[in-house]
Amino acid sequence: MDDALDQLEKARRGLGLSVSDLWWLYFAVGGMSTELEIEAILYRALIPTATDHDMLAVALNERFSELGGDHPVPYSDDDSHPHP
Amino acid sequence: MSDDSIEELEIRISFDSQRPTLYVVGDIDLVAAPSLAGVLHALFDDGYHDLAVDLAGLTFMDARGLGVLAETASRAIGAGGNLSISNAPAFIRRMLDITHLSDRMVFTTSVVSRSKLGRRHAADEQLASVGEPEASAPMISQHGLVRSSTDVVDAALRLVTALAGATVGNADGVSVTLERHGRLMTVAASNEAVSTMDRHQYETGEGPCLDAKATGRWFYIESLADETRWPTFVPLALDQGIHSILSSPLVTQERPHGALNIYSATKQAFGTHEQELAALFADQASQILTTAGPDPTDEQSNERFATALTARQQIHQAQGVIMESEHVNADEAYGSLLRQARAAGITVLARACEILRSGHSPDEGHT
Repeated sequence: MDDALDQLEKARRGLGLSVSDLWWLYFAVGGMSTELEIEAILYRALIPTATDHDMLAVALNERFSELGGDHPVPYSDDDSHPHP
Repeated sequence: MSDDSIEELEIRISFDSQRPTLYVVGDIDLVAAPSLAGVLHALFDDGYHDLAVDLAGLTFMDARGLGVLAETASRAIGAGGNLSISNAPAFIRRMLDITHLSDRMVFTTSVVSRSKLGRRHAADEQLASVGEPEASAPMISQHGLVRSSTDVVDAALRLVTALAGATVGNADGVSVTLERHGRLMTVAASNEAVSTMDRHQYETGEGPCLDAKATGRWFYIESLADETRWPTFVPLALDQGIHSILSSPLVTQERPHGALNIYSATKQAFGTHEQELAALFADQASQILTTAGPDPTDEQSNERFATALTARQQIHQAQGVIMESEHVNADEAYGSLLRQARAAGITVLARACEILRSGHSPDEGHT
């Protein structure tokens, strides 16, 4: 099964978002990390805080919702996908 | 607004003479330059074509800020007015001189205004005491005005081009190529000859500028006569008397977006020092583009910036309300906000707006 970081990256690709696109969405929902840090998170060079992870999940899930889809990216307190 | 916001630029306006004077305190960098541009544009649009900018409190200014001044000077002259610069620090004056932008501005030194700016906050009172009490000295923080116009970006790129031309030894022409609306175009060029060189590359579909843009790597051609790549373009360049070309990619967050091209009639024109300078200017141009957004001509990118900032501020404010009412830290407040939004089946922003409207956080989680 994919872990939480895989889910983020998979969702980003699924939505056809560039890292920059995702950063903008993340920034809009309150994110404080730089685009470079987000890239590092997606490429597993940096472990996100639970809040950063949730903000990325919010950014992606809300984009999915806008497109009429479900919200496939788990949040840090979702039991089925415990945050690392 | 919280007090911990970034304090980098303050602009105060005084109407103590017949024309408005802007007192600029702090850094005019890539982020803050649009604020200065916004204020100057607003005054200009209000019919003030004679403008004064006092730079006594200036601590830093990069090419973007200089671009704003250059653009304002042009507009002012075009409208029959002028831009007067007082108390410009020596480094700014020198850059304006190198690029001949100073030809279009009036320079003055004013001891009085320098003393006004001796203390940031004391200056408020002093400025408020001159001119009409209502109109004088409103303070504009850099957060209110975030739109960057293509004009400002282009003016800044022209400035980088001019600086590169004046600084890089043996440079006979400098240009900036950018992809806009899906096609390549020259947005800044130091002379007609380099525009032609760029155009030859767009038309033939080959050349170092195109390759720098396509690959994100820099290309240095020491001697075009010995060059075997680009067989269609090279003869055209040689015809123009060009012998060396240095093309450095302009890279924004994601990908190469264009190139800074330096042309020379001299063979082996650019040594290590020149290449380093070129890299520096390419970096400066890249930063301008990065800040302006992926395509500064695209209204959507301005819109996106403004929308994202507004949303973010509302979410932060709602977070603040939750922190206070639930006695939690910022991360916990965000978690709470997220849970509330999910429970209601709405976006985090929508939930944040509800909280701000009601002025308090409901008893989420206290079930």
